Amino acid sequence: MNEELDSQLSAMFDDELAPGECELLARRLSRDEQLKARWGRYAVIGAAIRSERGVRLNAALAGRVSAVILAEPALAAAHGAHRAAVRWWQPLAGAAVAVGVALVSVLWLRAQVPFAGAPRNAHLTATASVPAAAVVAAAAAGAPDSYVVPRAPAVRAMVPSTELANYVVAHSVFSSPVARRNLLSAFMTSESGTAAEEPPDEPQGNVH
Amino acid sequence: MSADASDLSLVRRVQRGDKGAFDALVLKYQHKLVKLVMRYVRNPAEAEDIAQEAFIKAYRALPQFRGDSAFYTWLYRIAINTAKNAVVSRDRSPIEYDLDRNNDESYDMQGRMKDSETPEGLVLTEEIRSTVNAAIDALPEDLRTAIVLRELEGLSYEEIAAAMACPVGTVRSRIFRAREAIDRRLREVFEGGLGRAEELG
Repeated sequence: MNEELDSQLSAMFDDELAPGECELLARRLSRDEQLKARWGRYAVIGAAIRSERGVRLNAALAGRVSAVILAEPALAAAHGAHRAAVRWWQPLAGAAVAVGVALVSVLWLRAQVPFAGAPRNAHLTATASVPAAAVVAAAAAGAPDSYVVPRAPAVRAMVPSTELANYVVAHSVFSSPVARRNLLSAFMTSESGTAAEEPPDEPQGNVH
Repeated sequence: MSADASDLSLVRRVQRGDKGAFDALVLKYQHKLVKLVMRYVRNPAEAEDIAQEAFIKAYRALPQFRGDSAFYTWLYRIAINTAKNAVVSRDRSPIEYDLDRNNDESYDMQGRMKDSETPEGLVLTEEIRSTVNAAIDALPEDLRTAIVLRELEGLSYEEIAAAMACPVGTVRSRIFRAREAIDRRLREVFEGGLGRAEELG
């Protein structure tokens, strides 16, 4: 036996051989029974050094596994057959998925079409702030076409302006004239702005 | 050097239909796998049966192995699942291996009482063990240290080189020479049968 080859085998057993060399040696190891027996004894040496209690060092386990594997189909062939089977049903599965998607699309589109008896634009008014039920009822009663102006959200001043003015005047004794003027000016500005933004109390309804 | 390159090269060969490469993987991991399974079942014969089943399952599942994890990690996972299933199917609770490890003598005795192995098999295992130990004792200091650090401590060649203050190439050579020296004596036991270890001294 070539000493260099055995040295490589020992290194490969320890996962210390370069991948390229591993490839070549794996090829030889799988075919050379003598090399394989040596590889097996390296494993026995390791198990004996580690004193693996209860583990039988003369076990025929490897031989038994090998016998079972020998009766099995080779993986490449088995895998190839599996892939061929997959290839056979793949187009069918693809077609089934496509038909399913088309069916769902058709059903979804049909669900979007309004009832035959309902006015065409009834669904448009339902998007506004008026309750949908009221819109549908109005449409059913033959009410004219309408649209709804969405109500703007109410903007509230953070502090009631009268209370703030009273507060500023009552405490003006303790504040400097400049600060007092600035505060009053800011207050006036904010009050006029707030008043402009204040929405009317009447909610805006349907505009005909 | 990439870890697991050796296993991966064998695995790739098996995946391409080379059954002989799987033998090498079984030879390499059989003892470790049986030891692992013995955490769940104490009887060595039963542990070997479960390990065998795990190897066969691994072989059949090998087309799905893509090398994302190390081969032995993947194999160990299969073995643990197989062992757990075997324990459940036999309606037993798992036995913790560590419980009796503190008392080696009692562990050996219990294991042997449940063992269905023949006395010759037990004697042969002991003979192999004593042959290896005797061969290690007879090794020069540097070879003995290298092989023990590798097999017992699981150090890489680089770590051993650092520990022994020598190049990695020297470590590789020392481990190889140690294995060769042990293997020479071991071969005689395997080929000669029982009693060879005593003859060899």
